Amino acid sequence: MNRVIMLIAAQLALFVLPAAAMAKERIPDPAKGWDAHFILLMVISVFVYLVVTIPLLYFVIKYRRRKGNEVGAYIEGNVGLEVTWTVIPLILIALIGVHSWALFNDYRTVPKDCFEAKVIAQQFSYEMISPEGIRTVNELRVPVGPVKLNLTSKDVIHSFAVPQFRVREDMVPGRETYLWFNAKDPGTYEVFCSQYCGTGHSQMLAKVTVLKKEDYDAWVKQNTSEAAASLPPEEQGKKLFESLGCIGCHSVTGDKSIGPTVKGLFGNKTALTDGTEVVVDEAFIKEKVKNPKEKVAKDYQLMMQPNNVMDTDLNAIVAYVKTLK
Amino acid sequence: MNEPKGFKSWIFTTDHKKIGVMYLVTAMIFFVVGLLLATVMRIENMDMSRQVIIGPQLYNVAFTIHGAAMVLFWMIPILLGFFANYLVPLMIGAHDVAFPRLNALSYWLYVGSGLIAVLALVMPGRLDTGWWAYPPYSIKTTANIAFYVFAVHLLGASSIAGAVNFITTIVTLRAPGMTWGRLNLTVWGIFGAFIIQLVGVPVLAAGVTLLLFDKYLGTSFYDAFKGGSPILYEHLFWFYAHPAVYVVALPVFGIVSDIISTFSQKKVYGYTSMAAAIMVITVLGFETWVHHLYVASTENWSRVLFMWATILIGVPTGIKTFNWLATLHKGSIDLKTPMLHALGFISLFTIGGVTGIANGSVGFDIHVHDTHWVVAHFHYVLAISMSMLCIGGIYYWFPKVTGKMYNESLGKFAFWLTLIGAMIAFLPQFHLGIEGIPRRYWKVPIRYAGEMRIAAIFSFIAILGFLLTIFNILKSAISGPKAPANPWNSKSLEWQIPSPPPFYNFEEIPVITEGPYEYGKPEGDVKKGH
Repeated sequence: MNRVIMLIAAQLALFVLPAAAMAKERIPDPAKGWDAHFILLMVISVFVYLVVTIPLLYFVIKYRRRKGNEVGAYIEGNVGLEVTWTVIPLILIALIGVHSWALFNDYRTVPKDCFEAKVIAQQFSYEMISPEGIRTVNELRVPVGPVKLNLTSKDVIHSFAVPQFRVREDMVPGRETYLWFNAKDPGTYEVFCSQYCGTGHSQMLAKVTVLKKEDYDAWVKQNTSEAAASLPPEEQGKKLFESLGCIGCHSVTGDKSIGPTVKGLFGNKTALTDGTEVVVDEAFIKEKVKNPKEKVAKDYQLMMQPNNVMDTDLNAIVAYVKTLK
Repeated sequence: MNEPKGFKSWIFTTDHKKIGVMYLVTAMIFFVVGLLLATVMRIENMDMSRQVIIGPQLYNVAFTIHGAAMVLFWMIPILLGFFANYLVPLMIGAHDVAFPRLNALSYWLYVGSGLIAVLALVMPGRLDTGWWAYPPYSIKTTANIAFYVFAVHLLGASSIAGAVNFITTIVTLRAPGMTWGRLNLTVWGIFGAFIIQLVGVPVLAAGVTLLLFDKYLGTSFYDAFKGGSPILYEHLFWFYAHPAVYVVALPVFGIVSDIISTFSQKKVYGYTSMAAAIMVITVLGFETWVHHLYVASTENWSRVLFMWATILIGVPTGIKTFNWLATLHKGSIDLKTPMLHALGFISLFTIGGVTGIANGSVGFDIHVHDTHWVVAHFHYVLAISMSMLCIGGIYYWFPKVTGKMYNESLGKFAFWLTLIGAMIAFLPQFHLGIEGIPRRYWKVPIRYAGEMRIAAIFSFIAILGFLLTIFNILKSAISGPKAPANPWNSKSLEWQIPSPPPFYNFEEIPVITEGPYEYGKPEGDVKKGH
């Protein structure tokens, strides 16, 4: 009981004085905290379930209707029992609440000197921007250690969920939300969109790649903007195709996705919803990027929004699409 | 006064019993629609590597209409349409409700709303927004949001009219001697539910109206890039849509008490705390909605505050559960079909209840929000358990409504199918949730294909049970054997008159001298407590 009171006091202090939380030196791991909280919840849940179902079954067997037991005993109630089954659940709930509150503070209190990246969602892909300004799509690269993500969305509400770090937060257009996790081990971790965002919702997947510090630095060096600018146009186009999110709906592998694949598209005829055919050339691609509402491909629904892309970037994208034969 | 007969007497009726029966039939049609859509989704869940019967877009339409049909057109109408209409006047000793014509209007608004919902399913621009229809998705999608908004408006008007009507009825039309302490707990539950409807529905109606303006009239209440906020909609929506859960739960709690008392031939244990718990939930239910926005960019302090209110709901709910158990203690328990459904309800509801405390815990929810955990939780706590209890209630009052008896063995068989199916169907989804796999996914990662197939197979069993039940009810209504006026030997007022009840219920308004649960009351000196 003393521990509970101390925990409550500590949590109150944390809540009232955020500075106190910031002063903590240890970097917590909310994912571990979640696992502990889960065990607490499961123990209480199973206990409560048995406390309900065992008497239920016992009474149903013992007091079943038979000769000599046609009418139940006349009992109105008992104040002592009512108090008992009000107070005990209250205590259990206080225990769960305080434990949860402590965990929640860990989740929402970002440690000092966190690695900080930005993620922007759109139907149906994520664009990641590293602190160095490197843009990637559907893959977030971070060094080992605590990571804070600033999240927002370009179109509808999405969500950034990383189950292995036991964390998620919605990505709301016009707002910046955040989450943080403690990436202790190098490896690849799945990312899901968990806020319903449309037809491609279940395909809105990504990954977090946690790298050793030196590997991360090497990756940054390779991809700094000076290095990227010297790339040939089709390489730049590839990066743009990914970073602008085109790849979220248009595969480069020939697979059917939310939109048509761009593999083998250039220079060939393609059928449109209005029954006509069109030859995919440079002008057509540029027009479609800027104004996708016209000339929708046959068997597809219009999902795409108009994009304002610079002409130099458009040329690079066309150069890239040309290479996908 | 003579009772009118024939087709026209149903269409133009203002009799609460006929309106109740029409609600029953209409709600059961939507129940079947919801079950069929569930079947379609579960067939799609059978194989995670390929499209089985429908693609992602139709899948999204299926869960949208499944949710809307089940919550808005089956559960709320069966409870506040059928049970409330049929039972409240009989239980409080009244000839009819306070405003019979308004009552008929409520029903027809509900039918109109239901027809619009069906149009939203079959017309082009099928609704794929989920029954919550969050902007900006609902504004950007090509789906016909106008259907959604008008369906909510009509249903909302129906609910508000119903709330005004039944609150007035319960407050003013109780028979002499029918004190608040002698009301059936079913009436208490219905009373609490209608208070929630009266307070909550207008907020939802306002919320969806702004959605309509944003979509078709160029306003920007929810457009973040023009000074609005999509989160505003989430608040307005859940301010009603979470208490809507208690709109379903409170009458269900009341009906459970009535069934358990009758089939134990024993007074409901702790009547006062049972009625008080219902009213506590009515009020506290309005302080919990932000738990739907635990990961939606709400302020951290608000998430903690609403966690406390949310998990506190567990206390009055616990009080109710333990009082049900205490009612069974030293009872004379007869496991007829309605009683099985009530006990089955408790066993499913408790799973949903304890996992609901887990969901309510803000730290826990950060990992399971919008995952299959939530799907499993609310199917135990609300969907399956409370549908099962509604079926139990229909069986219980079946002889009252029809004057006939249902088929007991088919009723029991269908019950076990549903219980076993439902018990197992959603367990795998708890596991997927703990693994953090989001819900509303057309296809989940292939490594969970086996679990989803098990879930699908057992849900088919549960659905088969429900369909057999519906068959039983229909067949027995047409050709069941004649039932005695009070087959369960109930002490409640509605069973003291002939079955089916005569037109205008009571020849003379009765004078009430004791409550509805006075089984085995000793003559003379009444002993209190143990």
